[in-house]
Amino acid sequence: MTEEKKEKKPHKRMTATRAAASIGPMVKEFIAGTNRARKEGTHKLAYTFIVCHHEEILRAMDVLPVWTENFAGVCGAKRDAERFLQRAESLGLSRSLCTYALCGIGYDQWREELGETPPDAPWGGQARPDFMIETGQILCDPRSKWYQASQQFMPDIPIYNIDLPYPLFQRDRDHREVLGYYHRYIVKELRGLIAFLEKQTGRKMNYDRLSELVDLSDRIWNLVHETYELRRAKPSPMGTGDAMNTMVPMNFMMATQECYNFFSDLKKELEEKIARGEGEVEEEKYRLMWGGGLPAWYALNDFNYFNGKGASFPVETTYRMVMPLDEMDLPRTNDPVEHLAWRWLGYWTFWYDKARRRPGSEPDVERLINWVEDYDIDGIVVHQAFSCRTWHVGLIWQLNQLAKIYKPIPVLMIGTAGQKEKTNREVPSLILESDIIDITSYSEIDTRNKIDAFIETLESVRANRAA
Amino acid sequence: MSDKEKSIMAEVERQYGNYGVRTRELCAEGAKAIGYICSFVPLEFITAAGCIPFRIRGDIREPITRGDSLLETIVCPFVRSCFDLCVKDRYDFLSGIVIPHGCDSMVRSYSVWSYSLNFPYFHFVNTPTVVKESSHEFFKEELRSYQKSLEDFTGKAITAEDLQKAVRLHNDNRLKTKALYEFRKADPPLVSAAELHKILTVGASLPVAEANALLDEVLAELGRRTEAPVKKGPRILLDGACVDHSAIADIVAESGGEVVVDTTCMGTRDLWPLADEDGDPVASLARRYLDRLNCPKTYRENTTGTFAGDAEARFGDIGARAKEFTVNGAILYLYKYCDPFGFEVPARKAYYESLDIPLLCLEDTYSAGTVGQLKTRIQAFLEMIG
Repeated sequence: MTEEKKEKKPHKRMTATRAAASIGPMVKEFIAGTNRARKEGTHKLAYTFIVCHHEEILRAMDVLPVWTENFAGVCGAKRDAERFLQRAESLGLSRSLCTYALCGIGYDQWREELGETPPDAPWGGQARPDFMIETGQILCDPRSKWYQASQQFMPDIPIYNIDLPYPLFQRDRDHREVLGYYHRYIVKELRGLIAFLEKQTGRKMNYDRLSELVDLSDRIWNLVHETYELRRAKPSPMGTGDAMNTMVPMNFMMATQECYNFFSDLKKELEEKIARGEGEVEEEKYRLMWGGGLPAWYALNDFNYFNGKGASFPVETTYRMVMPLDEMDLPRTNDPVEHLAWRWLGYWTFWYDKARRRPGSEPDVERLINWVEDYDIDGIVVHQAFSCRTWHVGLIWQLNQLAKIYKPIPVLMIGTAGQKEKTNREVPSLILESDIIDITSYSEIDTRNKIDAFIETLESVRANRAA
Repeated sequence: MSDKEKSIMAEVERQYGNYGVRTRELCAEGAKAIGYICSFVPLEFITAAGCIPFRIRGDIREPITRGDSLLETIVCPFVRSCFDLCVKDRYDFLSGIVIPHGCDSMVRSYSVWSYSLNFPYFHFVNTPTVVKESSHEFFKEELRSYQKSLEDFTGKAITAEDLQKAVRLHNDNRLKTKALYEFRKADPPLVSAAELHKILTVGASLPVAEANALLDEVLAELGRRTEAPVKKGPRILLDGACVDHSAIADIVAESGGEVVVDTTCMGTRDLWPLADEDGDPVASLARRYLDRLNCPKTYRENTTGTFAGDAEARFGDIGARAKEFTVNGAILYLYKYCDPFGFEVPARKAYYESLDIPLLCLEDTYSAGTVGQLKTRIQAFLEMIG
């Protein structure tokens, strides 16, 4: 049943930057590091999820995070997820559920049954945790259910569930009216996490160290923003294909000096490339935005296929999990936990004011509009992964809203000289469909046919504009 | 069946066949109705605001068409169906919709609902995912924001007395629906699953005071009933989420069994837990909707350190219903793309196994097109446990 042969290994994706090429060994090392720690007993290990603003707390307590979404992604990228997915199905879990979680639960059940790492597990396998930190937040149901399901097979492993809500955008209400009690709640949740970790590790939190790490993260946030803004250059020096690599330090190594150094090096590399006029693609014809959806990790080569057609991706909404802190108007506080909570709320409400000011807009749509303009985008590509509702519901509607602004007909605009000018601002979009790690949902031929047709559309829009 | 019984059951039938007809009439006369699709919406606030809480139903016989042009097909098919019907103006008499943090399908589609439908009122209630002292504090604040939004919409202040009165009315409603289930304990039951489904469905479409009056009449008539409308056969517990249609119960009945109790959102999960009538009504409602609604969306810590202990804490109400209604088997009926329930299947299976209750797990797409397949599986299951 679960002894299926692995899929044929894909050709390695070509990266545009040295930094992106260095990611593979980095991921391999932090997976190996957790296995070493398990064996040598040097650190407590915590299963956990990205985008929870709790890395500083974990690292200040010397707890090693085991990023379970990352391991599932690695299984997908290595085309070795199917045997774990099938094992999850054999337990009664539907393939329509989050396949990251299915892969993780299948893997955990198998490891617990064997009492050791499943055979030939990617990169040495995922270590057994000491505890699990899940985040039943407004963001994602599987984050609240995954570890609970895994706990059935390892009931001795405790769970701490942090509720991290943020106010959902409501057009007619100012979110500031409710921020106070959201903040109070998140602070209590994070303090609850600290108390849980103190109990599990037998150590007290060092708040000076926590403050230093929070400060380091803040600097990383601003550095990442500055670095990614360099991609506005023409030609763009780095694309989304590479950003699917550089998301690793941003999301899995936050609050570490290594992460800061990584982005310092990347920034320098991009500045050098810009100075040399070197782009992601040799001759940049089209500038595309990855407008939503997690990538198909087993098919990252599709980015090279786009590149081969002269299409670069200067920007993506996916995994852009930081925004410039100085534009957030965060209340000042010397308490690092309070700051983490403000930063969490600042990130999720970042686009609210702008969206409220533009009739018909909405935060996700507003972000698309802003980046279409800032990065001078010709077209938008989104990926619909069938198993994930968190990042993939609402994309069709967002594209519909966007099409109301970027119409496929010439419109009159006020030009720089104050005169009305006829412009064609059409921004076509492409929806790719498959999954994050379930390769059975993917067809390379269909995907590439869609890409070909999309490139023809971009060409035709350009010809119409020139006419 | 007496003439009076015929008339009250005929009225239920009439309103079921033309769902929302009464509330539509009331809205034409100036009333305001607020729609909801999930049990996490605290209805008491809507009633206290002088509006009618109206449960939006999907329709398994209506193909999803316009909704799919705006909402992804990976959304829970029940939510998609409800949205599709709204976009097609099936519920155009509503003044607004409240969506809670029930699941990703609701949360992530909130903008799609609120921008695509022309209702003047929309509100999102951010129900916490965990049960702790801090989440209670947060939820009380969130309920006060919800209360304020209704006050702004109606232009009428909601007093503590208004809320307390609404709490009592909704508690009455729940007690009356619980009394209906008592008729299911007889073997064979004195009220059929199809009848119960229709009564509860109609009840959720009426102002709560009218629903209570209707339930009183129904209960009185059922009290006089001496002959069971169904034959003796395997007694089934229906477990699942938002089962707002009777397809499964109908198939079970056609196959010689009878659904005698449920743990679904349109049934005992939502209708049995009461709110405390004493003290601060906001705190009481926070407790009801956070502590007492046993939905998989709400995480409850495993304090036992064992799977068996955790399963009893999470699913004990299923075992209690199964015992109380002496069931012979259970059907766990889930919709595709339902993460909160879907991830619980292995644990629920193990729990049923521990109780020695035969279980049939069905994953469905909320469409009349699958009834044939469901029938084959249910028939085989009933034969097995027969």
